[in-house]
Amino acid sequence: MALPLGLRAVTYLLVGTGVAALVLGGLLGPLGTGLVTGALAVSWGLEGARRRWRIRPALVTGVLMAAVAAAALDVLYLADSMLDGMVRLLLVLILLRLVLGRSPRDLRDVGFLSFFLLVATSTVTFGVGFLVVFVAFLVLGTAMLLLQHVHAEAERAGVAPAGGALPGPTLVRIGGAAVVATLAIAAVLFFVIPRVGPAVLPFRSHLSRMVTGFSDRVDLGSFGDIEADRTVVMRVYMPGEAGDPSSLPNLRWRGIVFDHFDGRTWLASGVERAVERRSESGRFALAPRRGRGPVVRQEIYLDPIGTDVVFAAPRPVSIELRAAHLLLDDTGAVSVPSAAARLQYAVESELEPPVPPGTRVGSAGAALSAAERQRYLQLPPLAPVVPGLARAVTAGSADPYDAASRLVAYLSSPLFRYTLAKRGTTAAPLEEFLLVHRAGNCEYFAAALAVMLRTLDVPARVVGGFQRGEWNPYGRYFMIQLADAHSWVEAHFDGLGWVTLDPSPRGLAAAPGEPWALTLYLDALRMRWYRYVINWSPRDQRVFATSLGRQARDLREWVAWPAAWPGARWLLLPGALGAVLAVAWIARRGPAVGRRPGGAAPAPVPRFYARALRVLARRGLRPEPWETARQFSVRVALALPAAAAPIGRLTSQYERARFGAGLGPAEAEEAERLVADIEAH
Amino acid sequence: MGPSVGAWLRRLFRPRRTIWPTRDGWWCLFVVMGLGVAAINTGNNLLYLLVSLLLGLIIVSGVLSEQAMRGVRLSALTPGEVYAGRPALLGARVTNAKRTLPSYSLGLEALAPGATPRTHYLPRLPAGGERLFHWEETFPRRGRRALAGVRLTTRFPFGLFLKAGQPDLTGEIVVYPAVHPLAPEQQRQLEAAGLVVARRRGRGTDLHNLRGYRAGDDPRLIHWRSTAKTGALVVRELLAEATEDTRLVLVDQGGGDPGLLEEGIARTASLAAHLVRRGAGVELVGPGVAVPLGRGRGQLHRVLTALALYTPGQPLPDAEGAVQRETGGRLRHVHVRIG
Repeated sequence: MALPLGLRAVTYLLVGTGVAALVLGGLLGPLGTGLVTGALAVSWGLEGARRRWRIRPALVTGVLMAAVAAAALDVLYLADSMLDGMVRLLLVLILLRLVLGRSPRDLRDVGFLSFFLLVATSTVTFGVGFLVVFVAFLVLGTAMLLLQHVHAEAERAGVAPAGGALPGPTLVRIGGAAVVATLAIAAVLFFVIPRVGPAVLPFRSHLSRMVTGFSDRVDLGSFGDIEADRTVVMRVYMPGEAGDPSSLPNLRWRGIVFDHFDGRTWLASGVERAVERRSESGRFALAPRRGRGPVVRQEIYLDPIGTDVVFAAPRPVSIELRAAHLLLDDTGAVSVPSAAARLQYAVESELEPPVPPGTRVGSAGAALSAAERQRYLQLPPLAPVVPGLARAVTAGSADPYDAASRLVAYLSSPLFRYTLAKRGTTAAPLEEFLLVHRAGNCEYFAAALAVMLRTLDVPARVVGGFQRGEWNPYGRYFMIQLADAHSWVEAHFDGLGWVTLDPSPRGLAAAPGEPWALTLYLDALRMRWYRYVINWSPRDQRVFATSLGRQARDLREWVAWPAAWPGARWLLLPGALGAVLAVAWIARRGPAVGRRPGGAAPAPVPRFYARALRVLARRGLRPEPWETARQFSVRVALALPAAAAPIGRLTSQYERARFGAGLGPAEAEEAERLVADIEAH
Repeated sequence: MGPSVGAWLRRLFRPRRTIWPTRDGWWCLFVVMGLGVAAINTGNNLLYLLVSLLLGLIIVSGVLSEQAMRGVRLSALTPGEVYAGRPALLGARVTNAKRTLPSYSLGLEALAPGATPRTHYLPRLPAGGERLFHWEETFPRRGRRALAGVRLTTRFPFGLFLKAGQPDLTGEIVVYPAVHPLAPEQQRQLEAAGLVVARRRGRGTDLHNLRGYRAGDDPRLIHWRSTAKTGALVVRELLAEATEDTRLVLVDQGGGDPGLLEEGIARTASLAAHLVRRGAGVELVGPGVAVPLGRGRGQLHRVLTALALYTPGQPLPDAEGAVQRETGGRLRHVHVRIG
């Protein structure tokens, strides 16, 4: 019973893989998973009873009809979506087949139905877990098809009873080779099947998590929650960077900008958003290039974190994403309402060069309008000690930028300590941070700097985003975790514009430790999955084809014909043609070993007899396949009595030549003469 | 373009294998097409991935099934004699000529026009291995009959496609007329025809000739009277004993009642078989058919072949005369009416 048992086991595992895919895609909750698993276990346990049952076809039909009716009700009234209803119907059909079916045919149907579980999942997920399920399904599906084939063929031919043995090691190796070959071919086909439009991400409407800190308002200290979370939420790949992107200075990922502070909460209050539409080239032009810093392209893969903010290195000049429009506010922040469009996008940014030491500015904010100055100089009611502290720290400053630098140095000094520990909310958290605790997370540092700059009449705003993140050398991209969420300050100086100032000493905080190499490997795999599978697009295909063409050109140059043989180049075409014909001939003929089993080939027909046969054939007399030469000669003698004597003699000569000792010269001459006689008659 | 060129071209372009989806194969193809349309419509790369998976499976299935059939030779075994209405044993030898790789899941289909082919299943044929299959086939009527053929098939490895080689054993076979034991009236007819004295030397009792003694002659055959007269040893040569050499003469053209024709042909064949078994020479003469006198199994095959291929109304006026000239008319005649 090894073969049927193996077939059943593989089929159940296949269904289990399909169920795992549903769980992965969020199409099956814990309760549903438990129910399905229990039903599978019961079905497996019922195998013995199933053999004894006599299931009436009417019962099967009735149960199926009831299932279809229930599924219709489910789709119409109960299910969240048609997809959910169809998945439940599929599960019911699979379980019914497993419980009621008794033949290997039923198991095969179950395998096919399980494939549609994978199809359903593919419409709602894009996680790398799908790759695991996909490979598992391929291995198990191949095994099931192979076992099913062996079983069915044996049954069909009655060679072995139903309880045959499992396939031998050679067949197992063939199965393994089939899996590897299928995977390789599927990979090649996946990349070369022409795409007719940009890749669309399978994404359900609900978001996995809402992350604080990236909405229009953020309370002081709220980043403390997420800064302890090591979940990777963003990956930034820089394809065009010739050098090492990890060496780029001041790299960070700018997101939302806050302009209004009420003493405890930062708000993006006075923001004016403009709708930007995509240009003909498929890009959104955000800002002109200034020519101050290097322009870098970033491909950003963002996990859904419940914000419509688009993160990019400052200052973004253009963006490509899958949306018809986006919102660009007057602080330079970009947002996209469509959640799916934010999952993968590409940005070109002109990086800000560091301000050279000794730079002097005349004033701060003079280039801004009155409304802007009012907006970025807004202050909540403050204790007088705060402006006093700012003035004390910046006493003797040469200009506003020098004052800002002194404030940054003051907040970065050992006097202040970076901590993620939360403390109870108080009426004046900023004053407590500056004067009492002198410890907090990046928001406290940023808020303190922004407020103190404003007290000094320097326009300032707080920016929320991510710091650079971990460089993954295996995938050559930045791996940004939630813990990298960060706040910093932008202050406006005449001649310099908005300048980034980061006062928080995060480097002094307790380092989380280097990620394991395995973690980096796995994340690189995930990144490649997003990059080359989920987001594979016609543009990637064009790039791939161009690269292939370039490599082919290089190869052609490498194997270039020696210049000393210019004439021999013309031999290439016939040579290649000959090679193709030879390969085709060998392929058609098959291997030479062991050809023509059953003995040596018979001797060829003597030439004189073949000529006689041609002469007779012209008169409508041809030897039949079943006819011996002697029988043929009698038939010829009857049909052509005048040729009876020569054909009889010629047949004797033929028999001696082909099967006897052969003909001497005189006999050969006679044979030729006999042929001529036959021809004359 | 002559027929030979046409046949050559047909042979050249004839595919070595035919491939046809099974029920599961059709499902697979439909799913590929459906998913392909869905992938194009949605732009979902995971759907493209699943389509690629199915296409990959189909390609691998084709490669492995080709590998299973490649190097496997099929040679047909046909019986030397096939009689109408009597089961004949046809066979085929399957040889795996590959050096190292075994072939799995091969089927040998004995095709039958208008009927389900009989399949012999071979789960595994090792490299260099050989298997022999045989099966019965009964041809109801005499004549030249086309064999339906046998072919190698496989559904390996996934049962999605049925791949088949070109049919072998597709030639024609001559089915001899049915041969039965002689009925009593046929025996009587044969006896009534009597025996024929052979006009040649033999071991009979009547005197054929006298001649001089040669070394090795039986001394009992010395003719003493002539020896005394001539003074030299003279021996007797005797006539051969009477023989059953028979000319079977088909009477009438046989164009009327087909039943009568077939019955007459079968009776003639039975007579020929009976006579050959008894060592007699047999000659067949009839309208459009003439087989000269001969004896032994070879002669029986010639007679049976002529009878198998006999069609009424064949004009060959001097056939009987030609045979008569050769045998000199020293045969007893048995006439069989075929019309």
